[in-house]
Amino acid sequence: MQIPFGLYPVGLNLYPLALDLFIPTIFIFFAGASYRVTRYFVTYNKPFIVYTTQVRGITQGEKIKELFNTFANSSKVGIKRKPATTAVGLLMHIVLILIIFLLAQHMIFWAYYIPPYQILFPLAIPESSADGQLAFFRGSTPYTSTPYPFVHDIWGPLTIILNGQYLTYLLIIFLAIYLAHKFSVVVERLSIRAGDWWFFVLLFVDVVLGFLATSHIPNNVYWYDNLLGAHILVAEIIIATLPFTRGFHMFEFYLGKLREWYFMIMRRGMK
Amino acid sequence: MTQVITEQINMEALKKAIDDVFYNQIDSTILYYLQSCVNCKACEAACPFTPTSLKYSPVNKAEVARQLYRYRFTVWGRTIGRAIGGSKKYLKLDEVETMVDYVWHCTNCGACMFVCPMGIDSGALIDLLRQVAFKAGLVPSIYKEIEQLEVSGKYWEVKAFRDAWEGLISKMKSQLGKDIPLDKKSSEVLFYASIYEALVYPDVLVKVAKILDTLKVDWTFMSKPLGIRPPLALILGDKEGAAEVMKRILDYFTEMSPKYVMLTSGGFEYPALRYMMHEIFEIKPKYEVVHVTELLAKWYEMKRFTIESTDELITWHDPCQLGRRGGVFEAPRVLMRALSKNFKELPSHGVNSICCSRGGGGCGLPTMIEDMAKLIGITIDEKSKKFLDSTIVPLINAGKLKVDEINKVKASEVLTGCPVCIESISFAVNYYHANTQVKHIVDLLADRIKKV
Ligand code: SF4
Ligand code: SF4
Repeated sequence: MQIPFGLYPVGLNLYPLALDLFIPTIFIFFAGASYRVTRYFVTYNKPFIVYTTQVRGITQGEKIKELFNTFANSSKVGIKRKPATTAVGLLMHIVLILIIFLLAQHMIFWAYYIPPYQILFPLAIPESSADGQLAFFRGSTPYTSTPYPFVHDIWGPLTIILNGQYLTYLLIIFLAIYLAHKFSVVVERLSIRAGDWWFFVLLFVDVVLGFLATSHIPNNVYWYDNLLGAHILVAEIIIATLPFTRGFHMFEFYLGKLREWYFMIMRRGMK
Repeated sequence: MTQVITEQINMEALKKAIDDVFYNQIDSTILYYLQSCVNCKACEAACPFTPTSLKYSPVNKAEVARQLYRYRFTVWGRTIGRAIGGSKKYLKLDEVETMVDYVWHCTNCGACMFVCPMGIDSGALIDLLRQVAFKAGLVPSIYKEIEQLEVSGKYWEVKAFRDAWEGLISKMKSQLGKDIPLDKKSSEVLFYASIYEALVYPDVLVKVAKILDTLKVDWTFMSKPLGIRPPLALILGDKEGAAEVMKRILDYFTEMSPKYVMLTSGGFEYPALRYMMHEIFEIKPKYEVVHVTELLAKWYEMKRFTIESTDELITWHDPCQLGRRGGVFEAPRVLMRALSKNFKELPSHGVNSICCSRGGGGCGLPTMIEDMAKLIGITIDEKSKKFLDSTIVPLINAGKLKVDEINKVKASEVLTGCPVCIESISFAVNYYHANTQVKHIVDLLADRIKKV
């Protein structure tokens, strides 16, 4: 079966369906994002700025320094006052970003839809630590040359630890801690939102699915296609719902911090 | 705390208040605060009320506002959200109690915004709930009566207030050994103070007058104060009342047209009179509203005077409203460094300074409110007394954080620039038997400033 605008026939497994649904997913994402952004424009009130102060005089250099401080402050305070949860939060973000954007398989996927993404190919990290071990212990280089410098990544033996396999282990642990934290919040009868479960459970499931597929567990093509398909489908659900969930913070984070900086530094002349 | 208030709930008024506030106040900033929180709870680390209970963490308190918002402004909120409790059209009785409890556990100190990775000011959302509470008549009567006295302008008919003010003026005259300028137009500095300051630290005000006189500044004082601690209405969630009071102040400042309006207090008056007042009326003032430390630091840097330095170990407490809400951090430090070679920062300072918790989020220490009520002749009924007493717990808890920090730096004196910070931290210092004194920075400066 071919679904409208589909690129592949939908067969007996989830993989072609998942690929077919990628473009519609992006449409939904953009529609949602536009809706969210439009609401900001509609409710925007031009601020009335009282005065730039005569007694404080903040220099351009200080303004830039404060911009860095604005972005760094929450992590700095978090590490001091809530070290465990802050460390888990920060590491989880780092690992998630690495795995989404630098895992070789993901990079190929992104580059297929956004060709300039190829520029980042030298940063690709492999699926497992085997590559790094081969490079390190055997001094081996890829046997065949490739049109892209793809397999010649810049990480070298570092991929013994920097690889999809290990990062996924970490990610599963961090996400499990997050989920446990959410449960503890429920126990303490503090506010928890449906969106929290939506995001963390989906992410957790998605990481596990991706891991099973790449690790070929169970080891046959039928399951591989279905697991990979399911992995992509869950990712598509996450992407499509980003504008309506906490996931959108990956974009809005910058907006919030820039607003804070603008408010304090440009409007208040903080010094 | 809440039982005190909920007996008087008028559900119809409450519903109207919720609709009024939530349909009329959503701008892009508030919208961002409402919809962009990731519930990471990083803000817990900043709030002076979380040591009392995690339910007072900023995100937990602000969630009530988010639930009311979701029902009104999101599709999910109107559909699935209702079924799973994520959104609410109005509040049930116990939820109102919770809301009222929450609003008195926030000083609007702004600490949560700087610690939030998303830059969300939960205080602003809790302020929406405070406005709801005010409109629904859920403000403790003792606060309301004092506030109404200020909004109506009748505070000046209170003999005790007049006496305090007139006493202050004569004290200034006797200390300076001459008449002081009152309501003089176009002077360099209009020295602004409130009745509250005249009551709690008249000596500090007299010392400010002394400094101005020593430095031969062209200054003037107010023959009549512009309020008890204007705009008190702001901290009770009475936006209209606050605007009324601010209009009076704006008119007076405009009529006096000084170069600087100088405040001794770095409490909520500072951002209110410097920024908010002019933003509301969209007026770019010809004068600049400044804190006394800003002006003195500027003059010190201009070498208009020197400061005698000592080796005493001193530290500075950043008042929330002066610093985080007002943007003043550097000026007091210029003076602190000049006052002592041994000026040490508290472990948490600047934008991360720990709020003194201002007596449970109200207008000041319960004892201070009680004293003021007695002075004015307001009877404190059983309910109000219970409410005031309950505000002591957060003060003790937040005070511990502060005292621990003061002990860490071993400061013999904690200087600051806000009357309520002085009272609240002094309370904690006494409570925990810490070995330090809390003073207004002017207290120290007055004797150490030497004109060049
Ligand atoms: S720190 Fe910010 S994003 Fe995190 S829970 Fe608090 S308000 Fe929400
Ligand atoms: S503004 Fe201050 S008191 Fe209010 S929630 Fe935020 S940190 Fe707590």
